[in-house]
Amino acid sequence: MAEAATAARPRRWEGLDRATPVWLLAAAALVGLILMPLGWLAYMSVRSDGGLTAAHYVRVLGDPPLQKALWNTVVLALWSGLMALVIGAPLAWLTARTDLPFRRSIQSLVMASFVTPPFLGAFAWVMLAGPNAGYLNRLYRELTGAVDPLLNIFSMPGLIFVVAIYTFPYVYIMIANTLGLIASDLEDAAGILGAGRFQVARTITLPMVLPAILSGFILAVLQALALFGSPAILALPAGFHTVTTQLWSFFQYPPRVELAAAFSMPLLLATALLLLVQKRLLGRRGYAAVGGKGGQRRVVALGRWRHPALGVCLAVLAAAVFLPYGILLKAAFSRAWAQPLTWDNFTLDNWSFTFLSVTTRSAIVNTLELGVLTACVGAALATLLAYVTNRRLVAGHQVLGFLAVAPVVIPGVVLAVALFVAYTRPPFLLYGTLWILFLAYLTKEMPVGYSQSDATLRGIHPELEEAGRILGAGRFRVLREITAPLARSGIIATWCFVFIGVIRELSASIILFSPNTKVMSVVIFDLKEEGQFGAIAVLGVFMLVMTFVIVAVMQRLLGRDVMGGRQAGGAG
Amino acid sequence: MPGIAIASLTKRFGDVGAVNQLDLEVRPGELVALLGPSGCGKTTTLRLVAGFLTPEGGEIRVGDRVLSSPTVVVPPERRRMAMIFQSYALWPHMTVAQNVGYGLRFAGVGRADRDRRVDEMLRAVQLAGYGARYPGELSGGQQQRVAVARALVVEPEILLLDEPLSNLDASLREEMRFEIRRLHERFSITTLYVTHDQAEAMVISDRVAVLRDGRVAQIGPPAELFERPRTRFVAEFVGKTNLIDAIADGPGWVRRGGLRLRVPGEALAPSAASSTPPATPVVVSIRPHQIALGPRGAIADASGSVLAGTVVRASYLGDAVDYQVALDGSDVVLRIAGPAPARVGPGQAVSVVVPAAACVLLPAGD
Amino acid sequence: MTHHRLVSLLLALAMALLAVEARAQDPRLEAARKEGKVVWYTSLALTSSEKVAKLFETAYPGVKVEVHRTGSQRILQRMMQELQANIKNVDVVHTSDAGHYVLLKEKQLLMRYTPAGVDRFAPGFKDKDGFHYGLRATVNVIAYNTQKVSAAEAPRTWKDLLDPKWRGKLVTAHPGYSGVIATHVLALVHLHGWDYFKALAQNKPMLVQSAVDPSGVVASGERPVAVDGGDYTFYQVKKKGNPVEIVYPKEGVPLVVSPSAITSFAPHPNAAKLFTDFIFSKDVQQVLADTEGLYSGNPQVTYPSDKPRLSDLKLLSVDAEELEKRNEEIKTRFVEFFGA
Repeated sequence: MAEAATAARPRRWEGLDRATPVWLLAAAALVGLILMPLGWLAYMSVRSDGGLTAAHYVRVLGDPPLQKALWNTVVLALWSGLMALVIGAPLAWLTARTDLPFRRSIQSLVMASFVTPPFLGAFAWVMLAGPNAGYLNRLYRELTGAVDPLLNIFSMPGLIFVVAIYTFPYVYIMIANTLGLIASDLEDAAGILGAGRFQVARTITLPMVLPAILSGFILAVLQALALFGSPAILALPAGFHTVTTQLWSFFQYPPRVELAAAFSMPLLLATALLLLVQKRLLGRRGYAAVGGKGGQRRVVALGRWRHPALGVCLAVLAAAVFLPYGILLKAAFSRAWAQPLTWDNFTLDNWSFTFLSVTTRSAIVNTLELGVLTACVGAALATLLAYVTNRRLVAGHQVLGFLAVAPVVIPGVVLAVALFVAYTRPPFLLYGTLWILFLAYLTKEMPVGYSQSDATLRGIHPELEEAGRILGAGRFRVLREITAPLARSGIIATWCFVFIGVIRELSASIILFSPNTKVMSVVIFDLKEEGQFGAIAVLGVFMLVMTFVIVAVMQRLLGRDVMGGRQAGGAG
Repeated sequence: MPGIAIASLTKRFGDVGAVNQLDLEVRPGELVALLGPSGCGKTTTLRLVAGFLTPEGGEIRVGDRVLSSPTVVVPPERRRMAMIFQSYALWPHMTVAQNVGYGLRFAGVGRADRDRRVDEMLRAVQLAGYGARYPGELSGGQQQRVAVARALVVEPEILLLDEPLSNLDASLREEMRFEIRRLHERFSITTLYVTHDQAEAMVISDRVAVLRDGRVAQIGPPAELFERPRTRFVAEFVGKTNLIDAIADGPGWVRRGGLRLRVPGEALAPSAASSTPPATPVVVSIRPHQIALGPRGAIADASGSVLAGTVVRASYLGDAVDYQVALDGSDVVLRIAGPAPARVGPGQAVSVVVPAAACVLLPAGD
Repeated sequence: MTHHRLVSLLLALAMALLAVEARAQDPRLEAARKEGKVVWYTSLALTSSEKVAKLFETAYPGVKVEVHRTGSQRILQRMMQELQANIKNVDVVHTSDAGHYVLLKEKQLLMRYTPAGVDRFAPGFKDKDGFHYGLRATVNVIAYNTQKVSAAEAPRTWKDLLDPKWRGKLVTAHPGYSGVIATHVLALVHLHGWDYFKALAQNKPMLVQSAVDPSGVVASGERPVAVDGGDYTFYQVKKKGNPVEIVYPKEGVPLVVSPSAITSFAPHPNAAKLFTDFIFSKDVQQVLADTEGLYSGNPQVTYPSDKPRLSDLKLLSVDAEELEKRNEEIKTRFVEFFGA
């Protein structure tokens, strides 16, 4: 048999995996999106007319006000991350694992908090807790006759509070998702051995969820580090800076781009470190098969703790949703927002003023266009990349995975600086067009999109795809017919996250916009600088309504919870 | 129906050599089991054959096509194979019929034809009428049969199975073993079957290849592996056995301390004692069921060794008894399988007869 | 409120008249229509800017006004940023920082153009070389919330604001954003020196950005006293019925004349010229005075009776060149004292 007719060797093309060029293209896109601007940034930080220099670093790191800004940022990030954890983790456990009443509604309301742009929330809280005119303070003064206010939102604690109530959803989502994957029998085992429900939570559930908890904490911290709008609204009036507001002020005329670049570096390093830690936390986990048998999940009975727990949830939601939304609505319809909403005070002028303005209308169109485009491209790219890294399709896929999440490291303001430098010279003259905003958004939202896609794909056993391939389906067909349907809810979640992220993006937009390419967040910020509370409230309400409509449509298409809750039982 | 020819196949993961210059031939229409403990490379070999992995060395040929080599690997979808996975890998978002019919879509089979063949196959695996159900609604055994149907309906040249029965409970597993053997006899597809369960391999295969550290330790029909293992490892892995380290003691004899055993002459065992110089270390393998046991003095055998011993333990298994007998004047404890009910009990003095033919000589130190 | 309605009626009338007039007379209209629009970067309050734009569009149908409103300092930043990227977008630039125009003129970014009828204007409203003219003027004032502060307690002079009793009760806008405020700061530095601001910072005022913002803050009562801000913004807010009162300190009020100019690279030069003529016309200047509470360089403009005339006030002027030269210093020292 060995001497039989020479064996037919496969021709070169027969053996080539036709999918390879596509993966390489996706990888190249990623490299271009992220490494290029970062490269420029690094270069700018050491550039001077006489060659390379460390003078910029010396200047920014040695300057006391700048050091103060750094310190403020650290304080803000850690404390708000902690607070986000304290709020998000128990809430996640209560809604995912117990018999808390109104679980589904609470989950939806947490989503509302997630969707609310932090700067809008900050603005609403100015109206609620400004030390003199704030609604809550006035109420307090009327009830108690005190002179001093109860709350002063223009302070570091105030800023921490506002940041925390809008970043806790990150923690919440991470933990709720993980809890959804853990079968109850692991906890039942402990229960049978005599552990009370809180002991079970503490000793069994908690360690299993710990990676998700820490990961969520890190994510919240990273978000807090990069926020621009909330500090601009709450910290500046109180007379202190954070790194982001300071970076933004470096861009006043004349712009000091080199200093901005150098000042971004400590932040970049810190966040890179955090990311590394987070990767280690999550990296060792294997996936839980979607196609196999998931464990049964039963709820923990809270008993007499039911109503106190509900109270806590409602308090959180009041802070994040009810109160701010309420005051925004009131301000949208009031002539003078601080006066009670009497018939005299009621007006529709704010609405006509806002929507008759050409600036506003074109900003709305820009925002929607950019939102949809970025979400579609972003979801596709993220899914492709997550696929490539999860199935290890190219050498150096770990690097790809890292790059995809790397933009988290770059605060929006800094990214904007880098993009500005990279794309305001030939051959890539993008400043003044929507494209530079598109690039900024795509880069900025990639981590969120990728994380979600990554989690989704982890849950799809490779054997499901291998089964398709061995039966004759090529890589792309398998992707389309097997992976995609199974990943559908995850992909749609990715789309939603990216879209929402784009709508509420401010820190990069505020640097990259030009008068013809304004987006809604920039218009709101402009109005804030003028103190046009009524118009801001109108736009804010509109922005929120728009977002909720999109989310609702998505949820309808999806047929299940976008935030990753599983449906009980069976197929499909 | 082509066969599989694997030559010098090598695959490393980091520094670990999972498959190490492995040679294997599967004849057309044959079912070969890859048997071995975890980490022996059997699953890796299977995945190399399927085309999911690229080898670092060697070659895999099916018929006269070279499918895998370090330079070129034909992708799985063009290998004309089918595979049944340990987790079944049924697609939860498709019905049973859609699952089973999936591969037929790429074979240029028309809709009507496809439906017909799917129905036929479902009948063949006794799942007629289940076509509209979803995998999530089926039991483990049913799911497994859907996986089988899905693989067979495309009439593959090669069928690969990766421990398909390990997720089933014991009785179902036994039943399915016969089922798979029956299906193989019906369709006669060249098959490679990975398992760690030796009994399963024996029932299902035409030949069994025992793998160890990435190579084939021995390959042959189940009976040959069982009765004539060639290494200590194979003897131990395939079925229970007694292993005695001894030294050659003249033609037809081995000795361990005070124990002398009669062993076959050179006609029976190629690496037998006659061609082995005296005092060479050797391992003797004796299957428990080939040893006879009776009250002291009650049995004899001219062509074997009659030894005296004491029963240490007698475990009643229902259809058999498992004895442990310590031989007098030696440190050897033999495991003996006898029929039920037990004729002797613990502490009793017994005679043990070891036929020479039952002694298989193996190289020492393996 | 009735006054407001009356004024709106007058406005409508004015618009109608203007429309008739314009159509009959202006030959440049054709050229402007071909260009289609004029791009206006303006630091005038958004409501006011949009009102002016609407007036123009009604008078000259076929020519649109693209209003881009932001703070003076931002406008300059944007312009320079765009030019660096070789983007030529803006036709007419209008900020409240006279220093900007020194800079722009130096860089040859302005077109020399004299709007019709501007020779009547007061000297402080005219560039001697003819590149820019003062579109409007306001003065920086003190303002307070009448519900929180009685007329007797209210501060009357700039120095009064340094009293520790105002600690935590003040609001100030920022020279880093607003030209009106940059002018104000320089004027007060001349009057009382930088020590004034050092002392003012001790009272921890709330920091807002735009010179328009303090009016909202005071109206809402969030901070009862504003230490600066264009008087026209407080006037507008007071007219709307908010409990705000204005104080014109006797030591003097910093005068801010906000120039307007056409850029040398204007993509729609004819529309720009048409627009410039329009906004400097007596009718529009009168509108600015009537409804927006602004001062005009045109001596024929009449003002509402509840507003002091410029001649009644002690005006503190600053030199545009000095403003340009010391711009960095103003911003840096302000941040140094106030923290952000």
